[in-house]
Amino acid sequence: MLRVEKIVGDTSDPAIFDLIHDLEHHGAVETITLPTDDLNRHRLMARTDQGSDVAIAIPRDTKLTDGAVLYLDKSRAVIVRAAEQKWLRLSPRTASDAVELGYCAGNLHWRVRFDGADLLVAQNGSAEAYLNRIPDLISTGRVSASEITE
Amino acid sequence: MNVHVSNEKSGISSVGAARVGIGGPVGSGKTALIEQLIPLFAARDVSLAIVTNDLVTAEDAERIRRSGLIDPERVSAVEAGACPHTVIREDPTLNIAAADDLEARFPDLDLILIESGGDNLASTFSLDLVDWWIFVIDVAGGDDIPRKKGPGVLKSDLLVVNKSDLAPYVGVNLDQMLKDAQSLRGGRPVIITNCKIQQNISDVVDLISREVLLR
Repeated sequence: MLRVEKIVGDTSDPAIFDLIHDLEHHGAVETITLPTDDLNRHRLMARTDQGSDVAIAIPRDTKLTDGAVLYLDKSRAVIVRAAEQKWLRLSPRTASDAVELGYCAGNLHWRVRFDGADLLVAQNGSAEAYLNRIPDLISTGRVSASEITE
Repeated sequence: MNVHVSNEKSGISSVGAARVGIGGPVGSGKTALIEQLIPLFAARDVSLAIVTNDLVTAEDAERIRRSGLIDPERVSAVEAGACPHTVIREDPTLNIAAADDLEARFPDLDLILIESGGDNLASTFSLDLVDWWIFVIDVAGGDDIPRKKGPGVLKSDLLVVNKSDLAPYVGVNLDQMLKDAQSLRGGRPVIITNCKIQQNISDVVDLISREVLLR
């Protein structure tokens, strides 16, 4: 089992990028794909796409990111990739609907971002589970919903 | 450029102690679970400390200090005030400071258990505070608790269903309660315990050891 105690770099770093690029040609880059929420962890057991177990314990002042390089030598690299994040786009019909939707999102502790007049909710599970929490807004058509993936 | 990370180490030790949260409703058995975990971790040579959260007292901390199970100096108390979930989720600064202080005083620490104040089914832990967290419910709360889909039940890394011995006395179908919990949690673990007789406590220790202590 590989044990990792620090992040050694990022794939966007030009020097590291070249090394990673060379290793990719030899099938020697292993990827750990983590759900977005798990990027906030500092200790976890993970498995690469090639089946290697990796024990990660990094200092609390560092953070796992998409592109973080956990291991790198001349023959092998292990990198982190963020899994696709689904967002639920909620479109309120009027300003008062938007205010009520904003209240509900805060009350439910949803992780959100804004896109014009729409509210985007980070999905962790089915869309139905979120829509079921605002049934009046949905059933009356005051808020409409659609899913997007990034 | 030095980009090498050793994979020859015998263990992970230079990144501080692991931090595990234990939350759940009032009276579900959080403190009782900790009292059962302490001797089992001690038997595995895990250097342990505890942070407890109470509303306006240090009742749980005092209970653990007086238990004789652990050096009282290794138990710290945080008074959470009226919102016990706030100090483990929105602003966990007090708990982070308490854990940092324990690490400074006991540099050999492997693990810090952070017990939240009793709260409702919505409480969750910030991953800024803990590496992994347990939510404790109890059979006497009713077998519909998992079906209420509280974030604590759904999102915790481990769900503990405690007081299994009470099921026949409170009309709870424990098998159905377990099935409901498992179906809602997407494969994440559920362990049934009875802290009075150490039922399945070693399973909890095994899971923490594997997932957080990385042993």
